[in-house]
Amino acid sequence: MSFLGEVRLEEEFGPFAAFQEALGFVPNLLYAQTLLPRVIEAQAKLESAVRSPGGAISRVHKERILLSIAADRHDTYCVALESKVLSLLGMSEGQIDDLLNDYHRADFPLADLALLQFCLKLSRYAPSMCSEDIEALRACGFEDELILEAVVVTALAVYRCTLSVGLGPEADFGPRKLASTRIAPPRDVALHIPSPGIHEAARNKGPYVPAPYLSSKTFGPFAIVQKSHGFIPNFFRAQTLRPDLLEAELEAVDRILLPEDVLTRVQKECILLAVSAANLNSYCVAMHCNLLRGLGMPSEEGDQIAVDHHGSNLSESDRALLDFAVKLGTRVSEFSREDVVKLQTLGFTEEQILECEVVTALNNFANTLQMGLGIEPDFEPPPDFENKVHLSGGAQPPIQAGGVVHLVDTLQDTEAGLVAQAQSGKLEAFEELARHHGQLIYRTLTAILGNPADAQDAMQDTLLSVFKHIDGFQGRSKFSTWLVSIARNTAFQRLRRGKHFESLDEAVCNEERDFRPRQVRAWQDNPEELYSKSEMRQLVERGILALPANYRVVVMLRDIQQLSTDEVARQLGLSVPAVKTRLLRGRLMLREWLSPHFMTSVKEIAQ
Amino acid sequence: MISCEEFLAEFGDYLENQVSPEVRQELELHVSQCRACHVLYDSSRKTVKLVTESSSFELPESVSEPIIDRVMARLRTGRS
Repeated sequence: MSFLGEVRLEEEFGPFAAFQEALGFVPNLLYAQTLLPRVIEAQAKLESAVRSPGGAISRVHKERILLSIAADRHDTYCVALESKVLSLLGMSEGQIDDLLNDYHRADFPLADLALLQFCLKLSRYAPSMCSEDIEALRACGFEDELILEAVVVTALAVYRCTLSVGLGPEADFGPRKLASTRIAPPRDVALHIPSPGIHEAARNKGPYVPAPYLSSKTFGPFAIVQKSHGFIPNFFRAQTLRPDLLEAELEAVDRILLPEDVLTRVQKECILLAVSAANLNSYCVAMHCNLLRGLGMPSEEGDQIAVDHHGSNLSESDRALLDFAVKLGTRVSEFSREDVVKLQTLGFTEEQILECEVVTALNNFANTLQMGLGIEPDFEPPPDFENKVHLSGGAQPPIQAGGVVHLVDTLQDTEAGLVAQAQSGKLEAFEELARHHGQLIYRTLTAILGNPADAQDAMQDTLLSVFKHIDGFQGRSKFSTWLVSIARNTAFQRLRRGKHFESLDEAVCNEERDFRPRQVRAWQDNPEELYSKSEMRQLVERGILALPANYRVVVMLRDIQQLSTDEVARQLGLSVPAVKTRLLRGRLMLREWLSPHFMTSVKEIAQ
Repeated sequence: MISCEEFLAEFGDYLENQVSPEVRQELELHVSQCRACHVLYDSSRKTVKLVTESSSFELPESVSEPIIDRVMARLRTGRS
């Protein structure tokens, strides 16, 4: 018996039949998940896509990768399973032993060794992957599709090993001996980044394989992602070289993450965030911070979970759930049945524990894949998390950027110092802060109130309110973010007192409908030359004030105040995709509004 | 070539300069072939440029200083 309960499923249960056909048996790892048949379906999707013939890597080579990684992680369950599979595929016992004990001794061609080495490095030190590793494979004559496949196979191995540790299934076959002289592999990925500066090297070099354009109109799975996420993350776009693998992944993700019958979406996103953070995966941290914001969690709370979930406002049991997931996801050697029992005593059901483990395994799958393909970020990770990555990786800021980094630090320090002084009642410090951020406050007020005169009027109330509440600012978000929230509150209070109240709630603006542009006449070549600077400014201001409030705020902060999209999202407590949608709408409406002033004349067209 | 609908689906990221080289290539091809989308792209880009360069809603010091002075005066009297 494994750590969790099992139930009998029908023999015809699709995924079991598929394993029966592919392997000749159903591994106990799957029986250990029978409390939630949908997660077995998810794993079956991934496994059959990876095993499907016709890929760039042969079946035997894939199974060898799976075995090597299991051996490297001292995962006795997976080692026994994979050894059996390889022997069924005709590999001799001697060869399997070589592979288990020292793959360098095995009589493989150099290219095969290079491939194994790549996969083992990715499984062990994912954060240190860089383009040189990819180049090493290319030098052996491996092509993009093969590299992509190798990364996915490695990710699957990590998925399985995470699950086998968490579930403790009984061995399917007699155990295989691993040589005791084997050097124990490092388990704590986060603590074993080989050399300083490695993050900088890895960060800017992706994506490693080309990704042909796939449209959500012709590729069904993308249409679903577009609908559920509001956009298509680079994580999926980066894998378009193999639509079949992508489709299987998306189906697995849907089965694991979308249902809310066991754990909630928020709980699952928190697990993904906390474990990604422990794995130092900036891409996934930024992604899950955003998704949590979209689910209604305040940005500071998500940022806090990324840095240290113990300091968050989550319930005690949810924090314990994250402790459990982080341990399973990153400190495998410390994990035991005790951890499962501990969650049970806190009131978690076996189904919930199972789902938590599967989500953790999926997270490690995704983290591995992202690092292996060097997928570029969709969003910026929280600033505090970036600091944590630097500290734990021992990475130094790049030399060229040293001066800039220093300057930014000093600026932030000065501001932090001013805030601290203002908090202790020093009025001069407060005055300096007010002067420095006046423009941001004014623009936020104007955007919400829709009227510069009202905004000037509300400035005083806002500043008084800032002073009154400044003790409540704990430094968990940027000071400017906090200021915007005070300005918004002040503006909303005024609106509620007045009669024209436009709601800015996410639900109110219908983001589903497509925006159809009406003005289709071309604009003149140098529109900025048609009016004087002050005329132009008045024109733009009138256009912006004519926008609906929820678009106006986003356009104001992004295009006028020129904050980044991420920052706007943070300040308004919206997800980045929601900000992007509103920004585009706002810009297009502005375009319609400005068009009559800048179009080529009818006469010019006739010419 | 991609359709106008597909072009519009990527349009926001295109304007923000946040598309991969492969997607950019498709979009550029579409813009060069489709007049309606070309006009839309060109005028939208110009809109963003005009808006960001307009220095709109700048609060002149002649307005902001008296406000800050009033606030500070109130805080000081509230203190003493």
